[in-house]
Amino acid sequence: MSENNVYLKIEDVSKSFGEVQAVRGVSFQVHAGEIFGLLGPNGAGKTTLIRSALDIIKPTSGKIEILGGAMTEEKKGRIGYLPEERGLYDDMTLWDTLIYLGRLKGLTAKTAQERSEKYLQELDLWEARERKIQALSRGMTQKAQFIAGVMHEPDLIIIDEPFSGLDPVNTRLIKQLLYRMRDRGAGIIMSTHQMVQVEEMCSRILLINQGEGVLYGKLDEIRSRFTSNTVEVDMDGEIDAVQGVVQLEPRNGGYHMVLGEGVRAEDVLQRLVSNPDVTVERYERVEISLDDIFVQVVGGEVLNNAEEEAV
Amino acid sequence: MNKLWLVAKNTYLQRIRSSTFLLLTFGIPLIMIVAGAIPILTELRAEIPAVGYVDQTGKMGIVERIEFEDEVLSLKPYPDGEAGLAGLENGEIGGLLILPADYFEGGSPQYQAGKEPSEKLTEAMEEAIRTGLLSGAPAWQIERLEDPANFTYAAQSTGKQVSEGPAVIIRVAIPVFFAMVFVLTIFTGANQMGSVMVQEKDQRAMEMVITSISPRELVAGKVMGMTLLSMTQVAVWILGAGTAVFLFFREDLIGHALSVPWNALLWAGLLCVPGYFFFALVGAGLGVIAGDVTQARQLAGMLGFLGMGPLYFMGIIVNAVDGPLAVGLTLFPFTAPTIGLFRMALTEVPTWQLLVSVLILVGSLLLSIWLVARVFRATMLLYGQKLKPAEIMQAISQSGLSAAAEGKEN
Repeated sequence: MSENNVYLKIEDVSKSFGEVQAVRGVSFQVHAGEIFGLLGPNGAGKTTLIRSALDIIKPTSGKIEILGGAMTEEKKGRIGYLPEERGLYDDMTLWDTLIYLGRLKGLTAKTAQERSEKYLQELDLWEARERKIQALSRGMTQKAQFIAGVMHEPDLIIIDEPFSGLDPVNTRLIKQLLYRMRDRGAGIIMSTHQMVQVEEMCSRILLINQGEGVLYGKLDEIRSRFTSNTVEVDMDGEIDAVQGVVQLEPRNGGYHMVLGEGVRAEDVLQRLVSNPDVTVERYERVEISLDDIFVQVVGGEVLNNAEEEAV
Repeated sequence: MNKLWLVAKNTYLQRIRSSTFLLLTFGIPLIMIVAGAIPILTELRAEIPAVGYVDQTGKMGIVERIEFEDEVLSLKPYPDGEAGLAGLENGEIGGLLILPADYFEGGSPQYQAGKEPSEKLTEAMEEAIRTGLLSGAPAWQIERLEDPANFTYAAQSTGKQVSEGPAVIIRVAIPVFFAMVFVLTIFTGANQMGSVMVQEKDQRAMEMVITSISPRELVAGKVMGMTLLSMTQVAVWILGAGTAVFLFFREDLIGHALSVPWNALLWAGLLCVPGYFFFALVGAGLGVIAGDVTQARQLAGMLGFLGMGPLYFMGIIVNAVDGPLAVGLTLFPFTAPTIGLFRMALTEVPTWQLLVSVLILVGSLLLSIWLVARVFRATMLLYGQKLKPAEIMQAISQSGLSAAAEGKEN
């Protein structure tokens, strides 16, 4: 990947607030034409990283290059941002809001109008354009804010939980728009807790936990690093237990088995095949999901923290 | 700059349509005009009755008719009060004027009637007394003695000439008018800045907006928008006041050589414009540190107190217009516009004092821009939290969000 295609470069960035170290030595890059997943539990430091990248706050140490260098006023017009904190001007109409925010991003009045019309039509909000923001539903406001964040067709888009509050139809509309922007060459950073969306949309991810990057790279490569300890088995005959299986659960006419730590799936299969009371028809290792990886990597700590808080 | 104007325009357009603005802008002058018009309309509708008079001085000639402002006052002399009262009771006359025997020693004429005389009737009766006492004098003499002298004062030190009458009123009224307008705009415009900033934060659009525009431009745009709003308000008020003056006092002004008090206007501009921006920025700063609109309004009340403050000292100022308190308050940025202008109405304020006052005001303005932008940048994403003094100092000494804000947001 050439340097020209690197739209965001975060190098060893740390940020402290007094005694609290929110981010510790995180590094990653986001390229043109990709959707990059920024993952992590609540309080992991995602928002701090995003705000640092956008020059809303200054990192304590480390280097940030955005669109090829330091942030400038000119570059602000090439960046789109949909923050986690949702809000628009309640007393303004949807149309006026988009024109205002579009113009703040550097669009001319004419282009702002054209783009507003285009995206309002596309996201099925055209009829609501004269309504005040406060009169829009949550989903409509979410779409309106999304339009405000991308209507200037930026090179780098940073979106925080873009699908929260959206029904499946609108989720699909937003996805299509994001794909189109990616295909146009935009680099997109998507911060979300919805692992299904990340698996579907992102080519690379960074998982941060307690301010530190714990997983970074291509999604397929990361997935291959984690072997599944779960198998699904279809067979004739019934069993109560299998050596090496810690959890045995009948499911859909077969069995869902969770293997013990260090147990090889091949060994379990051998034991089943050698059992004269059963005939194995299908034996399949379940591919590990990003959700499972997330839970494996940060789940224990999150649970421990929750327990500590409860105590 | 372009984005600054976009913010200013948006702030202006959002506010100008609000019912509060429309009520304040058009309601206040309307109430003043109506309040001012009621006595004038009452006067216009007042009829002039026939008036009898008793001359107990024996010096008045017979006066039977006075022409006054296109109307006629009919007069009927009576030999004594008893006859006059009888005439009043039997309806021959609507009122009875008695010129007492000690009139020339300062005795007051009496007027007896069913109701108080209108201003027009009072003036007509004065004219009747004058005409009666100057019986035999030519009409031009009587007319000239209606207003025998219109003095022009020449200041010994400067040689500057000031005419009595409307010119003096204008000389005094212009600075006072601008001082009053300034105080009003502090209340209606600059004082609202805190609420504007709180609302900007409350709408939660801040994070999107500041990735398009710098915090300094955002604050400056908001202040500019509110200033334009205040200027619109002032323009409406001045237009209203000018129209009212023209409608109600045009006859008083005709015939007098009036000159525009350029000096007063110049200093009014030099003091009021940075003064307004200064108040607006301090208002914005209070909004930044306030947690919600209610707190912003409470803090704005304190700011309004500073704006109104000079009025509390007016008694002392009038008595010692060049005293140390007056000079001190002329130089203090919060009171400089009001006290400076009030003093200009009462005395010749030394130019150095006004110049130093403007310089201090501009310096305070620049300092407040720096401070407010810094606190705003550091705390713009703190929603619904009132800043403690320690946090304000921290925000000024370093940029970046406070730990509390980040902990909340991540």
